[in-house]
Amino acid sequence: MDERIAPHVEELSRVLGNRYTEEIRAELEKLLQYRVPLDEAKRTVLNRFTSRSPASVQVKDLVGGMNSFDISGRVISIEKKNVTVQEDKRSVFTGSFGDGTGICSFTCWDDMSLKAGDAIRIKNAYTRMWNNRPELYFGKRSVIERLPDDQLQDIAEMSHTKPKKLQDIAPADVMASSDVVIVEMYHRDISLKGKMLTITEGVIADETSKLPFTSWTPLRGVDIGSFIHFEGASVRIFRGLPSINFSDNTTISQIAQPEKLPFTLQSVSRETDPVPILKVLDKSGIFDVTVAGNIISVRPGSGIIERCPVCNRVTQKASCRAHGPVECVSDMRIKFILDDGTGSLHVMLNCELSEAVYGKSMYEAEKMARESISKEVVFDDMKRVLTGKYIAIRGNSSRNEFGVTLVAKSAWCPDADLKGRMDVLLKRIEGQVSDNG
Amino acid sequence: MADREMAYRVFASEFNDSRFQISSATDAPIQADLHAPNFLVTTAGAKVNRLFIAGVITEVEDIGSQKGGEKELWRARVSDPTGTFTIYSGNYQPEASVFLSSVEVPSFVTIVGKVRSYEPGDGSVFVSLRPEEINHADESIRNRWMVDTAELTLDRLDIFDEALSSGLSGKDLLDHLSQKSVPSHIAEGICMAIDYYHTDRDYIHGLKIQVRDALLSIESSLSASPGGLADIEQSVMVMLQEMNQGKGVEYAVLVREAGEKGIPAELVEKAVRSLLSDGSLYEPRVGFFRAID
Repeated sequence: MDERIAPHVEELSRVLGNRYTEEIRAELEKLLQYRVPLDEAKRTVLNRFTSRSPASVQVKDLVGGMNSFDISGRVISIEKKNVTVQEDKRSVFTGSFGDGTGICSFTCWDDMSLKAGDAIRIKNAYTRMWNNRPELYFGKRSVIERLPDDQLQDIAEMSHTKPKKLQDIAPADVMASSDVVIVEMYHRDISLKGKMLTITEGVIADETSKLPFTSWTPLRGVDIGSFIHFEGASVRIFRGLPSINFSDNTTISQIAQPEKLPFTLQSVSRETDPVPILKVLDKSGIFDVTVAGNIISVRPGSGIIERCPVCNRVTQKASCRAHGPVECVSDMRIKFILDDGTGSLHVMLNCELSEAVYGKSMYEAEKMARESISKEVVFDDMKRVLTGKYIAIRGNSSRNEFGVTLVAKSAWCPDADLKGRMDVLLKRIEGQVSDNG
Repeated sequence: MADREMAYRVFASEFNDSRFQISSATDAPIQADLHAPNFLVTTAGAKVNRLFIAGVITEVEDIGSQKGGEKELWRARVSDPTGTFTIYSGNYQPEASVFLSSVEVPSFVTIVGKVRSYEPGDGSVFVSLRPEEINHADESIRNRWMVDTAELTLDRLDIFDEALSSGLSGKDLLDHLSQKSVPSHIAEGICMAIDYYHTDRDYIHGLKIQVRDALLSIESSLSASPGGLADIEQSVMVMLQEMNQGKGVEYAVLVREAGEKGIPAELVEKAVRSLLSDGSLYEPRVGFFRAID
């Protein structure tokens, strides 16, 4: 066996820059034991190793599904857990890991005799999505290198992540600290494990972004317009959007001199200028973002639709996925693709916004559908009215399996200061054209 | 699932100069899959799979029946100030074909389409668009498209200049551009364009002049239009006040009256909607409007 695959291992290793020879051999042997044809086995191995990103990364750049990267930092906490994997009892080690750019949670599949405070470099780590966030994994296949202790900040400093701007809070972060102003706030009663509990929810903002927050402890002396500094808040991810959670472990203090901050309640509440769609696509989710572009395609599923009265799901042939045949409720919506020449995303308009954008009320649309017998008539008419038009949308974006979707909170026809923009462009060209010759 | 391909904004002259087609983003044959999109790399480095254009449709021909075949095939020409896009729409674009069969020429249209190229075999390459979406438009949409396209094209040309003056090529150039936080699709397109077309400074310079001339060609229509809607709103308000006999004015009567003054119905609708939303009008009864004094 060995003799026969040796040339193939050598060939693969050469293609991959004379690296990973041993790992390639192990992978290839394993595949051949499963009687995978040699060509297919080689292809698989090559694929696995070429997708490797050998570069070292930082916690703030972690996303789900990264393979074989290096990362350096400090173990902030670690605990042993017993889990059952395929009826096999084993121990895993989980905890949090930080490098000064953020703190993420990790799982180590094998006992690497790590303890809190260790400064390490992990070679050949990978990430997977877990609880909606990227989690760092490593195990037998990874190499752990101890780093000199003084190369990194000490653990106390690192475990209290240094304050970040809201837009820099990444999906991998489990903890966050920041200076913010509260722009929305309300109380909600929920029942948690049989007990009634009043929680506080709302929106916080700084000059870079806005994020939703939930406080599980009463916020004393804090109201809309309060400027607060918080430390050690936990970050949860919902549909790609970070949400900030205050708990007993979070320290919250009022900021004494808010006038020294680079933002005010007025400045964060102002309507924001549209951002290029490319920037929105970079992030897994953005809270309260404005984009503007052309409606390049009105998607099927727009128009008059029917919903289940219980769960609000869209029904097919008067039957709900969860509740069977139901008495449907009519609704109108528009789904379209917005494109500004830097990127494209899906936009969802609810009934109210659909009426405004489409220019017909749901009542008129239903009447139109009844008169023509076909439901498609509304969809066709929407396409005719909207395709190619300019529109600006403000709402929350999130990434799902179909790409990035923006659920609109408001929509309007963007102002076009075409003359002004044109003058800027003409000046720009004039400057360059005369420079060059 | 692969992300949707963005719709590029490119002027016709740059598009028509281009002939370099690639079948997939990666050149590793192992990773090529059936659904990998085709791209046309333009002379100035746009890696285009899908295009959004707004222009004037000047010609529509039914070339399917000309050849006596049963195949349905429409050819249309849509022009912007720098040149003309060629559109082919066949059996598999039924909506676009129906649109083309009845569209008036000349008129403003917007088209979202996929790039096609045809090589007759004598070394030449013809590029065209296969429409996915096509719709009527107006002058303001066309003008806005022009300004958007000019802005995006200039941004790309500036990066191209930067790439040329770095003197780098291939992977070094890609690294150089990504350090300057140039989006990867633009960096790749520029590298490929330099490799394939040997695009030089003179060509980029020429394109910039074309962009300038294109902008200048719509300048006069721009300076007139911003006041447009406001003027109409003004006259609608005056008409409503004059015609009001206490109960407001019926919409149909307003449209008829405005029509006599040469204001088209769509504009009246726009003005009424805008006036309603800013609170200058209200609707005392359905279909009746009254100005708030």
